[in-house]
Amino acid sequence: QRLKAAVHYTVGCLCQDVAEEQDMQFSKQTIAAISEITFRQCENFAKDLEMFARHAKRTTVTTEDVKLLARRSSSLLKYITQKSEEITSSNMEQKEKKKKKSSAVKGGTTGKQEAPVTENEDSNMA
Amino acid sequence: RMLSKERRSGQKQMYCHENWSLSPEEFEIWDRLYRIKESDGIKEPVLPQSRFETLENLEEVTKREEEATHELSLSEWRIWQNRPFPTAMVDHSDRCYHFISVMEMIELMRDEQGDCSYELEIQPHLCIEDVNVQRNKSHRSMTTST
Repeated sequence: QRLKAAVHYTVGCLCQDVAEEQDMQFSKQTIAAISEITFRQCENFAKDLEMFARHAKRTTVTTEDVKLLARRSSSLLKYITQKSEEITSSNMEQKEKKKKKSSAVKGGTTGKQEAPVTENEDSNMA
Repeated sequence: RMLSKERRSGQKQMYCHENWSLSPEEFEIWDRLYRIKESDGIKEPVLPQSRFETLENLEEVTKREEEATHELSLSEWRIWQNRPFPTAMVDHSDRCYHFISVMEMIELMRDEQGDCSYELEIQPHLCIEDVNVQRNKSHRSMTTST
């Protein structure tokens, strides 16, 4: 319930942005439906990501797995790939600054950062 | 034994086309029984193309005469979709059950006026530290940059 509440709040914020841009309104029920879809879609995503990683004999989900989630639309895939590259390059900068190693941890964190992006696209799609 | 028998009879039919394409006989059957022609008075069925409202669309928009085709609708019969439809060999997936549940949820909220039961139920569980308030802003700059 706590997770659902957080998703519902965030979906509400995103819908408000869209509402302002498009000069239209979402009913509360519509926002509720989008958040429920997003919440459930996270379950689909989580299972798929886990399977993709396992298929590649990994236990850590990486950005490559996330890209596979977006494979069905080439425009979505392009967008996700761009974002992924942005994250990687900013990570590289941080890496140089902090002079940290442990690339495995990096892979993990980029994966997590990517996930919310796909969720957003999904809720927009719905 | 059954298998080898079947395979042999299959091979006989396969004899004249080891190709990917139809053999003349198969083409004749297809042309006569299944092919949609102008005289049939039905439109050619097509699937809707995927399109993103919020992203630039790379998919080539294949031009087709809207008049001559029947675009298969995935939403026309939505009021039937709040229950699982019968299956033959393939069970419903989790994804499918999620879809059914959400359709049911929408059905239940359809007659609500103003206050939303989902919101009332879930609001008390919100912990403000779970949500990224900054995300609002970043989302907006994202959409304007694209």
